[in-house]
Amino acid sequence: MTGQAEKTLSRRGFLKGATGLTFLLGTGGLAAVRADADTAAVLDVNPWLKIQADGQISIVFPSTEMGQSSYSTLPQILAEELDADWDDVVIEQLNADDRTFGNPSFGGILYTAGSTGVEGYFDPMRKAGAQARDVLLQIAARELGVDKGTLVTEPSAVVAQDGTRLSYGELARMGTEGIVIPDADTLTLKSFEDFRIIGHDIPRRDVFDKSTGRAVYAIDVTLTDMVFACVQRAPVEGESAVAVDDADARAIPGVVDVVVLPDGVAVVAETYWTALMARGTLDITWSQNSPHRAYHSQHTLALYASQAETPPEAPAVWAEKGDAPRAISDADQSVSQSYLSDYAYHAQIEPMAAVAHVDADGKGAQVWAGTQTQSWTTQTVMEVLETTKDRVRLNMMTMGGGFGRRTAFVQDYVRDALLCSKAVGRPVKVIWTREDDVKNGVFRPMAVQRMAGGLSSDGKLTGFHHRVATPTVIGFFNLSRWNTVRPNDVISMRGAESKFYDIPDFLADHVITERQARLSPYRGIGAAYTGFAAEAFMDELADAAGRDPLDFRLDLVQDNPRGRHLLEKVAEMSDWRNRGDRAMGLAFAGYHSSMAAGVVEIALDRDSGEISLTNMWIAADAGLIVSPDNAHNQIEGGAVFGISCALTERIDIEAGEVLQSNFWDYEVTRANQVPPIEVYMAKVDAHPTGVGELGLPFVPPAIANAFYAATGRRLRHMPFTPDRVLDVLNG
Amino acid sequence: MTKFTLNGKSVDVDNPPDELLLLVIRDQIGLKGTKYGCGAAMCGACTVHVDGEAMFSCQLSVGDIEGAEITTIEGLSDDGTHPLQKAWVAEQVPQCGYCQSGQIMRAAALLSENPSPSREEIVDHMSANLCRCGTYNRIFKAVERAAREV
Ligand code: FES
Ligand code: FES
Repeated sequence: MTGQAEKTLSRRGFLKGATGLTFLLGTGGLAAVRADADTAAVLDVNPWLKIQADGQISIVFPSTEMGQSSYSTLPQILAEELDADWDDVVIEQLNADDRTFGNPSFGGILYTAGSTGVEGYFDPMRKAGAQARDVLLQIAARELGVDKGTLVTEPSAVVAQDGTRLSYGELARMGTEGIVIPDADTLTLKSFEDFRIIGHDIPRRDVFDKSTGRAVYAIDVTLTDMVFACVQRAPVEGESAVAVDDADARAIPGVVDVVVLPDGVAVVAETYWTALMARGTLDITWSQNSPHRAYHSQHTLALYASQAETPPEAPAVWAEKGDAPRAISDADQSVSQSYLSDYAYHAQIEPMAAVAHVDADGKGAQVWAGTQTQSWTTQTVMEVLETTKDRVRLNMMTMGGGFGRRTAFVQDYVRDALLCSKAVGRPVKVIWTREDDVKNGVFRPMAVQRMAGGLSSDGKLTGFHHRVATPTVIGFFNLSRWNTVRPNDVISMRGAESKFYDIPDFLADHVITERQARLSPYRGIGAAYTGFAAEAFMDELADAAGRDPLDFRLDLVQDNPRGRHLLEKVAEMSDWRNRGDRAMGLAFAGYHSSMAAGVVEIALDRDSGEISLTNMWIAADAGLIVSPDNAHNQIEGGAVFGISCALTERIDIEAGEVLQSNFWDYEVTRANQVPPIEVYMAKVDAHPTGVGELGLPFVPPAIANAFYAATGRRLRHMPFTPDRVLDVLNG
Repeated sequence: MTKFTLNGKSVDVDNPPDELLLLVIRDQIGLKGTKYGCGAAMCGACTVHVDGEAMFSCQLSVGDIEGAEITTIEGLSDDGTHPLQKAWVAEQVPQCGYCQSGQIMRAAALLSENPSPSREEIVDHMSANLCRCGTYNRIFKAVERAAREV
């Protein structure tokens, strides 16, 4: 799509009976513009936007929606530069692996993760809108016989100096004869203060449907003749069914088929209830030879701890400045500590579900699924059906939560639906029960982090070494990607770079340990645990230096005025300087280029070991904020997720089997565990950098630091469950 | 055959009496606003009203509700104008939205019993339902807003 910026359109492009304008804008720029006709030619790219003769503007939504509201915010970016009236905009979900719309933050893959939507699409979608606006101005200039420079736009209209108004719909009808498509890079974009949509609180498009039960998720899709499948999956990774006695299941009225899958057995039935009941009657003999049967999470953590201490091979350097080990050994005072964290599960409230309708020849399918990537869902269908991309028809459904759960290169729930549909020749809906989802979860990895720091005699930090012993996550969930990026695993290591601080000698390195569970990206990715270690340890250093945790950190942000502002702001919001003996903890962490300084106040029940939060203050900077109210909701949601991670969330594995099974033994933060949360968002004139994960990383260390304020003891193993808290109190 | 009232209309279903009310509502009757989240009385995504009381529809067998009056999110209002729904929009509560039908049904039962609950009563009552996206503080505000408006 690039390199085609200047192009004059000929009359040939405009068929009779034209009904609107289609702008073909790749992320590289505008490639063509044509009038749509009933007989519109088939094009080799999909358009970013269409303006209909009636004024309706449809804008492509290239990501997928899981609660983060990109469905509203990304089209708003384009609408802003187009100067569209937001009420004229309809949003079109992109339902194909069309790399024209690829996420620039993921090398053009259609992938919705890592808070990259707004960051990655901000420039291309602004340019796309600006180009279309320029074309509309040219049409108006031609029609009115005036110079383009004399025209201005108002929402969905071009206005001339004499007050003549031409709506975008009217202009779309007028055809594009003689119009020159401008090079996107030559256009002047709006300055931030002229924004009418970005930075204003435009209500989300999906809130009404989500408040009336009308939003349709994959689990809700219903097709004529559809049947339901329930899968008994192998109890341990790597095992498969060696014998299946399904006589009882098949005898139940309504059971359509029993389908053996690579790692499970599916019962397909006319109703989900029947499938569920029949699954309970299966007698399956599983293979017994998976190496995963040897894995116990307690041993896994012990292994990682010993390897953090004595790496079996040279750790992979993640971030480095100067010579941290030397600075630490030369320091007047040095401190070191280890921090531990367990496996964690996504707990999105919509369990895995997908509907597939495989074509009669078994070589194509229509699929309804909620996933974080059109590209890899397409890939999944291609691999499972051994087919080509053109035979894959996707319907990307809004998701009942993602948090990384739906990012895998091969999506097993989609695969299940495909294999079952292929076997029975009917559309099949697969629903994993909550227990299936927990037992077959893909987890945030366990980690042991070995921290060391050096202090000068005047209490300044001179060297900092952050070592993370954890497996590669990318190496499991996307092996081909790992082969490109190894040994740098951003999913495992994010946050360990402590990039918001200026530390004279710094090292973060990765001891890549053996994977002993299924792994996946998780909200905050590495920062969910590296933030804990880095910022809890920062408090230990401040303490060793005899300094206030705030002052100690302020010294490290001399060159980061935006970060400094956040620390000062959160101190003011929480009245940090006058905290007296209130149990308050501070942390400063972030995600990628977004930063958050937070303070929590806790209450501790010394008999039960239960920690509860009584207050939370957050000062955040994520660059320009496209939708402030939504950003607020996301940051607060991230912080609530952080409370959950810090206090309760823990998966244990014994002999390769996940011990937990549902929300009674995998506890997620409830309404009565959430404190009042005050969020401040800095107003800055900078590229947007994302808010989806930002609220999370500071929370666990802030709680650990508040616990220290209350007790003089340190929590170094996340989650801080009551039994661990009691051990620390009594230890 | 089980006969009950659903959103004001009388219905007869011939599902097995032990089948979950949740599945009957969703798959037999076709009202998809009520969600499955855990099947274990732990998340509240499946919350409906049974004779005016908020209950987990994943914990009821259809045979148990013979003669009962069931209300789902679809029956709360025809057009999204129940004060709680308006408050949900005004406060922009939902993120992924998956839990929200259940949250609204849970809150509606509270308000019909206690039209002006304190914050503490709201928090307590709403703790039966999970929101993984963490919209709790907005839920509290929306319930308070709706309480002011009824
Ligand atoms: S689905 Fe009924 S409580 Fe979770
Ligand atoms: S809005 Fe996503 S679970 Fe509540």
